[in-house]
Amino acid sequence: MSDAEAWEIAGMSNGLTLTLETRPEELERLTAAVETLAEQDNWPAALTFRVNLVLEELVLNVINYAYDEDGHHLDVELTCNEEDLVIEITDEGRPFDPLHDAPEPDMESPMEERRIGGLGVYLVRTMTSDMQYRREDGKNRMTVAMSRDG
Amino acid sequence: MDLKSTREGSNLIVDVEGRVDGTNAMDFQTALEGAIQPSDQGVIMDMGQLQYISSAGLRVILLVAKSLQKQNAKLLGCSLSESVREIFAISGFDKIVPVHDSRTDALKALED
Repeated sequence: MSDAEAWEIAGMSNGLTLTLETRPEELERLTAAVETLAEQDNWPAALTFRVNLVLEELVLNVINYAYDEDGHHLDVELTCNEEDLVIEITDEGRPFDPLHDAPEPDMESPMEERRIGGLGVYLVRTMTSDMQYRREDGKNRMTVAMSRDG
Repeated sequence: MDLKSTREGSNLIVDVEGRVDGTNAMDFQTALEGAIQPSDQGVIMDMGQLQYISSAGLRVILLVAKSLQKQNAKLLGCSLSESVREIFAISGFDKIVPVHDSRTDALKALED
C-alpha cells in the first residue's frame, strides 16, 4: 500500500487518501486501508460495514461507468472527526452523476419483475446524511457525509 | 468468501462465510448455482458468518431467487448479523427472501 496514507492531526481527526486504478480488484486495497483506519479510530463493526459499502458502491460506479477501459485512476479521500465522516471520490472520466444518472431503484416489485439497477446508489443514499456531485475542471467529484452513529 | 453446503432431505442449506463484494460476486454466483440441484425444494442461506455484502452480492441473491422460483423452490435466509439484516431491510430484499432468526426456524418454515 505504498500510495495509501493514513494520518492523524493533533488527535483531532483521522483519515486516509488512496489512489486506485480503475479495476474492480482494487477494492481489496481499499477495504484493507479502511480496516486499518477503523482499528486506529476505534470504529464499531457496523460503521466499518457502512463505510465499506458506501465506498464500494461509489468506487464501482466510477470503474463501471466513467471509463470504457481499465488503466485510469481515481482518488479516494476520507476524513473523520468526532461526529462525522466525509468521503470524497474524484475521477477524470466522462461526466456521471450517480444522483441523477443512476436508474431509480425498484424496491417493491414482486421477485420475478424486480430490477437490481440503482440499488447501490440507493443504499449509499440511505446510509449517508449528505450526498453531492460536482463536475469541475474536467473531473467528477462525489462528496458524501455520514454520521458515526448511523 | 467461502460457501459450504449440506442437504437435509429435499432442502439445501448453504453457509456463506466472509465477504461478498464486487470482486467475488461472480464466484459467489457460480458456487451457489453449482450447489443447487433441480430437485431442491427449499434453499436456506445461512448468513451467520457473512461479514459483508454489497449490491453486487444482492444482485446474485436476486438472480438465484428468481431461478429457484422457476423450479418452484423457496429461498430463505437465516442468522443474519445486524448489519446484513439492515441491508436486507433497506433494499426490500427481506420481502423476496424471508429472513429467519435461526436455521431451525428456517427449516420449520419450509415444513409448514
